[in-house]
Amino acid sequence: MKMLLNGLLVVWSSWLLAQSPAPSGAGADPAWNEIKGEKLLALRLKGDPARGAEAFEICQGCHKSGATGSISGVYPRLAGQHATVLIEQIVDIRSSRRSNPKMKPFAHEQIVSPQEIADIAAYLQALPIPPNLGKGPGTALARGKELYARDCATCHGDRGEGNGEKFFPLVAGQHYKYLLRESRLIRDGERGNANPDMVKVIKSYTDEDLEAVADYMAGLAPP
Amino acid sequence: MEKARTIAATVCVKCHGADGNSTDPAYPKLAGHHPNYIVGQLNEFIAGRRKSDIMVPIVTALDPGDFKALGAYFGAQKPTSGTVLDKKAAEEGKRLYLDGNEEKGIPACAGCHQEDAGGTKRFPRLAGQHREYLIREMGNFKNEIRMTKTGRFMREVAKRMTDQEIKAVAEFLAGL
Repeated sequence: MKMLLNGLLVVWSSWLLAQSPAPSGAGADPAWNEIKGEKLLALRLKGDPARGAEAFEICQGCHKSGATGSISGVYPRLAGQHATVLIEQIVDIRSSRRSNPKMKPFAHEQIVSPQEIADIAAYLQALPIPPNLGKGPGTALARGKELYARDCATCHGDRGEGNGEKFFPLVAGQHYKYLLRESRLIRDGERGNANPDMVKVIKSYTDEDLEAVADYMAGLAPP
Repeated sequence: MEKARTIAATVCVKCHGADGNSTDPAYPKLAGHHPNYIVGQLNEFIAGRRKSDIMVPIVTALDPGDFKALGAYFGAQKPTSGTVLDKKAAEEGKRLYLDGNEEKGIPACAGCHQEDAGGTKRFPRLAGQHREYLIREMGNFKNEIRMTKTGRFMREVAKRMTDQEIKAVAEFLAGL
């Protein structure tokens, strides 16, 4: 019976995926970002930015009005981020795939439905990006630029614009301290839902390397 | 609206005041809340997720068909403001209300309840509310007594706050 149900789910999921050129971030390692369950559901739903603005009220106590986040890096800027990335991260946080114990209780399904996740993502993607607020010290920009061009640009784009279809986040102009915190977590295997390809690339990075790249990305002008 | 006015003047008046500005701090002010919020809470009493030995029998005896009009009536009443008794606590409360606490993961209350604490259709008005009532309800969230559907967020927030922080925010809000 369970096998039959699983089989049906697979058929249903493939049907959903077939309905549109749904983005797939599978890439080299399909297990990294398997699009299934409510992640698939939220990605398939049509997000409404107006409804998203209202649903986002519950987020702005931390991420702030206009989704600017905070310079301290505790909360990332979400304005302008790719909707697919936002959906993936919210769903991963609530399923504990991405470790974020502070946010997880607020992302509970009784607080935000899959439709609201899609709406919030549509709203945030369309928000104007505020000017770079949380810049780094600016002391290792040349080193950062070099590392970025060598290791990061292939996925995150020459200008840090990311790639929504492949679930690669926009990083340009993100708060320096947030970039630094997350890249450390990814390098040290503590983020939970990191792309293994990225972990491989930055595994050998020193703290100074991470600081330099974060400094460079925080200084990039957002699109 | 006429029927709602009559219910307010005969039933609700004893605790909440005819215009929804209760003077006894054991009972919340209802004036100026969004009508949707009032209807939602009345339904939560009936569903048993909000507990009160006083309110539940009273709400149960009402006709749910009148809830909407009652919400509209109290929502349309002019809320009275309060006075600050402890200035230092109110200052601390104001900071927490507007900025939250990043280190402890306490969201700014203003995110949902608005900067002026006027509330929205989903979130209650807090400006001018009795401090005693605010403190009691935060305790009910913290101790999982107030189990309203939309209260899940607040139960988490309340658990992250100390009693002193709760008192400070209540002091700030009571004075608005």
